[in-house]
Amino acid sequence: MQSKLSDIELIQQTLSGNQSAYADLVKRHQRFVFTLAMRFAKGREDAEEIAQDCFIKAYRSLASFQGQSKFTTWLYSIVYTTAMTFLRKKRLDTDSIDDENTYIQVENQSSGYDVNNAETKSRSFYLNQAIGQLLPDDAAIITMFYQGEQSLEEIARALGMEANNVKIKLFRARRRLKEKLEQNLKNEVKELI
Amino acid sequence: MNNIEEILWNYIDGNCTADEQKNISALIEQDEAYKLKYQELLLLNKEYAAIELDEPPMAFTYNVMEAIRTENAQQPLKAAINKRIIMGISMFFVLTIVLLLVYTLASVNWSAGDVSANIPSGFKMPDITSYITKPVMMGFLFFDVVLGLFLFDTWLRNKRVLKQA
Repeated sequence: MQSKLSDIELIQQTLSGNQSAYADLVKRHQRFVFTLAMRFAKGREDAEEIAQDCFIKAYRSLASFQGQSKFTTWLYSIVYTTAMTFLRKKRLDTDSIDDENTYIQVENQSSGYDVNNAETKSRSFYLNQAIGQLLPDDAAIITMFYQGEQSLEEIARALGMEANNVKIKLFRARRRLKEKLEQNLKNEVKELI
Repeated sequence: MNNIEEILWNYIDGNCTADEQKNISALIEQDEAYKLKYQELLLLNKEYAAIELDEPPMAFTYNVMEAIRTENAQQPLKAAINKRIIMGISMFFVLTIVLLLVYTLASVNWSAGDVSANIPSGFKMPDITSYITKPVMMGFLFFDVVLGLFLFDTWLRNKRVLKQA
């Protein structure tokens, strides 16, 4: 069972030497951090590596967290930089993530799912499929805004951008997601006919 | 720059001023195009918010904590030692030496011509002359030379590292 203590309380306990408090913090945020890592890595193994690396980095620099922003905002900024470093290490030019034409479309994320059976596909499947086809930056902004419940200012702080820039990027990301969703559904209908 | 979609997203996200909000509400009520687009975006907003999070592997937390424990175990002793503890021990010895000095100086009879400390009558200095033999002195000097060479080597290495940096 997860601790009812706040993030700040768990951080204080961790800093005073209680490692199980940090385990609670990891349990609390692991799903979101892993999802965010998936937006960049597109493969479960790589995402796991990024997410794990991120939590280790956060542990190392926990003392430097001053509580001026939400812990999640601070944590997501670590995810973002860790993911970027990971992509660089994988020799994927970071510039290429802004170029949709050169972006590598990777295998479907929902393995073990019968992709040919349209009846079994849920709404969530189509959304996950569409978000997996977005550029990492777009997918990350959408995930942080909707699933991470971060404000535009908080996303801007985590990604090191201007809030206005994030607002424009979010608007474009939503539009692209809608286009991908429509395109995928159209293809599905064609396949059925 | 603002098209209907952008205006409506701002309205949905609550990024408008009170006046803008009022105007957009009126537009949604009166203009059919705005109304349809607003309903479409509201539905999309609901869908986006319902995207499910991915589930990490079962042993994820365990793996993270294990990696942290391994990292802590591999940490060199120099980095693992709390500097405050070292400072505390140093302070204890410094304080002890200072107190002993103060006590000794305070017990000196400065007014007497022959300056002497009031050493307790039972106190006897150990006889160390028997220990100062030639082999002991040679060993002591040898140790000093080795220590000196070691420190000189460390200094030269540090100098080289700084130069390379």
